Amino acid sequence: MPKIELSQQAFFKYLGTTMQDSELEPLLTVAKAELDEPANAEGIVKIELNDTNRPDLWSTAGLARQLRVYREATVASYDFFSQPQQNADTAERRVVVDPGLADIRPFIAAFAVEGAPIDEPLLNDLIQTQEKLCWNYGRKRASIAMGVYRSDLITYPVRYRAVDPDATEFVPLGAGSRMSMRRMLSEHQKGQEFGSIVAHFDRFPLLTDDNGDVLSFPPIINSDRIGAVEEGDARLFIEMTGTDMPSLLTACSIVACDLADAGYTILPVTIEYPYDTPVGRAPATPFYFQQSSSTTVDYVERLLGRSIGAEELIEGLRRMGISADHAEGTVTVRPPQYRNDFLHAVDIVEDAMIGLGMESFEPQVPSDFTVGRLLPSELYARRVKNQLVGLGYQEMIFNYLGSQRDFIERMYPEQEWPQVILEHVQIENPMSENFEFVRRSILPQLLTAESVSANAVYPHYIYEVGKIVQRDPEDNYGSLTRNGVGMLCADIDAGFSLISSHVSVLFYYLGKQYTLREVADSRFIGGRVAEIVIGATAVGRFGEIHPEVLEKAGIQMPCAACEIDLDSVMEL
Amino acid sequence: MSADDILKSLHPLEVRVLLRYGSNDIFDTHRIQEDVGLNLGQCNQAVSWLAAKELISEHERVHRTVYEITELGERLAADGTPEEQILAHVSDHGPAPLPQIASALGLENRDVGSAFGALSREGVLQMNGEKQVSVAAGTPSERMQQVRALLERARGGKEIAADRLSATEQEAMAGISKKRGSAGAPFRVIERDEVTYRITASGLEVQERLQAAGITGQEIGALTPQMLKDGSWRGASFRAYNIQVPPTRMVPGHRNPYCEYLDRVKDKLVSLGFQEFDGPIVETEFWNSDALFMPQFHSARDIHDVYYVKDPTHAKAIQEPYLSQVAAAHENGWKTGSAGWGYRFDRDFTRRLILRSQGTVMSAKTLPQAAIPGKYFGTLRCFRYDQVDATHLSDFYQTEGIVLGESVNLRTLLGFLQMFAEELAGATEVKYVPGYFPFTEPSVEVHIKHPVLGWFELGGSGIFRPEVTEPLGIKVPVLAWGLGIDRMALMNLGLDDLRELFSTNIENVRLRRGK
Repeated sequence: MPKIELSQQAFFKYLGTTMQDSELEPLLTVAKAELDEPANAEGIVKIELNDTNRPDLWSTAGLARQLRVYREATVASYDFFSQPQQNADTAERRVVVDPGLADIRPFIAAFAVEGAPIDEPLLNDLIQTQEKLCWNYGRKRASIAMGVYRSDLITYPVRYRAVDPDATEFVPLGAGSRMSMRRMLSEHQKGQEFGSIVAHFDRFPLLTDDNGDVLSFPPIINSDRIGAVEEGDARLFIEMTGTDMPSLLTACSIVACDLADAGYTILPVTIEYPYDTPVGRAPATPFYFQQSSSTTVDYVERLLGRSIGAEELIEGLRRMGISADHAEGTVTVRPPQYRNDFLHAVDIVEDAMIGLGMESFEPQVPSDFTVGRLLPSELYARRVKNQLVGLGYQEMIFNYLGSQRDFIERMYPEQEWPQVILEHVQIENPMSENFEFVRRSILPQLLTAESVSANAVYPHYIYEVGKIVQRDPEDNYGSLTRNGVGMLCADIDAGFSLISSHVSVLFYYLGKQYTLREVADSRFIGGRVAEIVIGATAVGRFGEIHPEVLEKAGIQMPCAACEIDLDSVMEL
Repeated sequence: MSADDILKSLHPLEVRVLLRYGSNDIFDTHRIQEDVGLNLGQCNQAVSWLAAKELISEHERVHRTVYEITELGERLAADGTPEEQILAHVSDHGPAPLPQIASALGLENRDVGSAFGALSREGVLQMNGEKQVSVAAGTPSERMQQVRALLERARGGKEIAADRLSATEQEAMAGISKKRGSAGAPFRVIERDEVTYRITASGLEVQERLQAAGITGQEIGALTPQMLKDGSWRGASFRAYNIQVPPTRMVPGHRNPYCEYLDRVKDKLVSLGFQEFDGPIVETEFWNSDALFMPQFHSARDIHDVYYVKDPTHAKAIQEPYLSQVAAAHENGWKTGSAGWGYRFDRDFTRRLILRSQGTVMSAKTLPQAAIPGKYFGTLRCFRYDQVDATHLSDFYQTEGIVLGESVNLRTLLGFLQMFAEELAGATEVKYVPGYFPFTEPSVEVHIKHPVLGWFELGGSGIFRPEVTEPLGIKVPVLAWGLGIDRMALMNLGLDDLRELFSTNIENVRLRRGK
């Protein structure tokens, strides 16, 4: 979820009014936004935006636009958009695309702006928009990258080319000397960060003007001359390159609308492709490509749960910046140029909900009758818990992830580790070695609890009823999640006979007959560990924890422990 | 403490001591033992309690050194000291070499050697030309006689006070006594203060009250089975106990309050007509995200957001027709009326095994078997690639649920949220704001006002997108909701760190209680 910083003064200018935080906060819900930090001494406000499909809200102008439109119920209009078969006049402003880019980074959109010298808040906002758009919406520049240039230095047509990365050199922004594009990937900070997007291609994308002066190496870095925009520049050239035409055009429209709202004149640019694209071979950008979509008033009413009517619905949509009209119960909407999040009629329904106001929907007590039920495994777990509490046990609850040291190395002699590791579900991308394995047994964490609790009054009787995961090659997922119980007694005389008595009480009240058989298990003292068997099925083990295990866990009190597979016991 | 309170707080031992003496009596623990018939331990307890209550006070304190006979001393008194034994042996059997004497008497060579050394210096024994011990004077030395006299005086566990010994006796005693802690001497030296006491003015006042109340210190403490059997409790007087004495700590069997809280939430949801669901911790990308119509390129599906399983990496298969229908919904909307995401669905990636990152997985998995109308919920452990801190855990619980019905809609969703807010969280005020979740449209967040903590987000909800429900075979609207159950539990337990919920500290958990 993106967070943006904005100048309160600029924001209020876009909004057309000032307001207190107490008035702003409820208004922000219209944009699914929250006031993260109120204005600081410099007048900077932090806002969190929850909707990852609304990149148009991630800038000062864009957020203010949504709120202004809502308050004024007037759809914002822009006159610089081209449409299919209807290109704007772009004069000499052209970008010519090289055929070699078709498989590398095929699409580009661009426009120029002119107006007042750009000031610090606007420049910061433009940089922030670039970052948020390209990072969150543009998948860390993989699908959208954006560049801003000083258009006074550009001779049209701009050329978008695929070039030899070793033979092409220029001075990248912030480097101070010429280097090859290949070297930029390893030596320039932006190259290291984003280089993987293009590194596997033979040729790299390059933007130059007609004189061969470099604008940038998309999606990595601008040049240090044409690409070095500063406060006071009044004429800019803006381009975006990418792999997905709809999101690229949306991003381009967002930035153009933002700058138009800031008072700049938008000068469209024609893009000349040598190959087919979803918008033809010579679209002018910014380009309005969105399709109208329609739904019925009835559908909206059924999902929202009250009668609304076509007029009220259209009014609600208008507050969201959406123009709509209706005929015979069908409403047709035209999405705003800066939005591309209408996949299905439900998306219209949601904007209607917000536009009509949440307070206009009264909560309704549900009327369908259904029977509530806990799972049999939950009911069984509760029986076990009650019994163990009756036996004097303290219930514990642990994390399910743990380390190799705790789950494996501490529990088993070294020669058994490789095998035991294979019996665990291991995480391929652990955040930390402390959380690298899913537990296969509850006992290690019971021992952890004992090891940190030597100061607690003895005896310690602790248990956990919870889940474990066992590897199972037969299973579709290769593992099974099971419900189990682990019990641990730590005390001067916590031994086999004590835990055996507890097991016997537990099974008596569960109404299960069991037998015991000898088993080899290095976690326990040899000859003092038993396998619990119901019918012919082993359902658990108990015994005295081996002093080697206790020593490795730093425990200086004898421990007897038990672990039972409750799913098996319940089924038998 | 008032005299009345003191009266109630007196132990029978104190009562008996207090009643025994008058204003002019001076007493010490020895005297109390004899006068009241207590043992030394009881005496010491009674005296220290009475002194603490200032009912008796010290009269005089005298430092004394006493000699206490040891086990060895008792044995020597009975069997003779090594010196006495050697002298007797040589007198009776004639001269003999030292080792022979030692073995005849069953003594250590070393002890016989040192005894002979002392006796030869005192002229009692001598060594002849053949290295044999023979009698010189033939009678015990004065020192030997004094040692014998001291042993006889102390025999039978008696003490000898240092100030009762003559100068020569003291010299003899110094040779046969050692300080406490050292071993191997017939006497142990004990330094101690001997204290005498007398009753204070308030002690006398309490004494009067005891007499007036007829309390003797012989009242019955514990009622025994024997008393009930023989009826001796009849007519007996029961000692009043001090009911303010702090109770002894017990360590009972105890549920974990966090688990109890989760149980209560489950019970509440069952009472509202919800059926519980559960499922595996290891899941596929398909159910974790694809079935929820989150595009495979979605930013929340990064390698840095989900834990991947190392082996096996992929599920063998995803159930059809759901796989194909979900894939089509992503690619072109399938038959849902959606445009879809317009990309090529990756059928290998969808089988990738991960650890479940959101409880909504089980809501989706429940859909193909769900009844209509139907309500389902689960409290599910979820796993996130997060740095563990006070507000993030590597694994945690989410409570998620769904409601299916021909006529459910936004207003019934709000109705459920209101019910949860009031029934589960005890909210006094509820606010609904538009929310965003990739799988619901419209989406609503519910915020509640907690009586103490103010406004906070209780959970998220919405109506499942048709791209979620229709590929899984459901044609009716489905309300979906999730509650931040761990945060609610923290509030219930009065904690502020999520890690505390899964505490391994037994003492912490023993002392913890919910509201």
